[in-house]
Amino acid sequence: DGSGTGRKRKSRWADDEPKPVIQLPDFMKDFAGGIEFDPEVQALNSRLLEISRKLQSGLPLDDRPEGARSPSPEPIYDNMGVRINTREYRAREKLNRERQEIISQIIKKNPAFKPPADYRPPKLQK
Amino acid sequence: IALQRLMLQPGGPPTKVLCLTNVVSADELKDDEDYEDIVEDMRTECGKFGNLVNLVIPRPRPDGEPTPGVGKVFLEYTDVEGSSRAQQGLNGRKFGGNPVVAVFYSENKFSEGDYEG
Repeated sequence: DGSGTGRKRKSRWADDEPKPVIQLPDFMKDFAGGIEFDPEVQALNSRLLEISRKLQSGLPLDDRPEGARSPSPEPIYDNMGVRINTREYRAREKLNRERQEIISQIIKKNPAFKPPADYRPPKLQK
Repeated sequence: IALQRLMLQPGGPPTKVLCLTNVVSADELKDDEDYEDIVEDMRTECGKFGNLVNLVIPRPRPDGEPTPGVGKVFLEYTDVEGSSRAQQGLNGRKFGGNPVVAVFYSENKFSEGDYEG
């Protein structure tokens, strides 16, 4: 049988390509702030701050004037007859969704980012 | 958070067993000579990262029945250091033109011969 001996062939493994990522030692990352200088990450960070401020300010979240708003969805009531999807509630939900989305994106770009305690990673969907 | 990050690693926390996916096709595995070549290539390359104790490449059954784990390669190292080095070194490397995906695999499943996961 010809197994092993005499059969000169090339390994199927491609040559080890140099890794494109430059790994900084951990202590350097903290020092340099590393990826925080990425303009995209900066933009995401400032939007995140803006949203967090809005959510905590207690001011009305939807301040568009009457004429500039799109039609409201059908009202939904809880079993006490209190409306659930008020304008305020919907605006809050929308900002919360955007906030979670931004945090996910920052984490994707910077795995060392420490998300706020109330951040829940999105459920993976098949 | 450190724990969270650990869990978010591909394939969960490091184990001694590494699973390479997207590596070989069922056709290549059917041919005895090709199969030997693949085993040899794996043994040489993967042995560079640590002490390899076990190498399993599930082959398709001759009767055409589906076999779990076909297309994957399982590598067991003596320690997590070896498997971690291999995970770092092999993930993204090309084997036969395919970019390899290397993830840690449950040691229990592996020892029970369960290659489904």
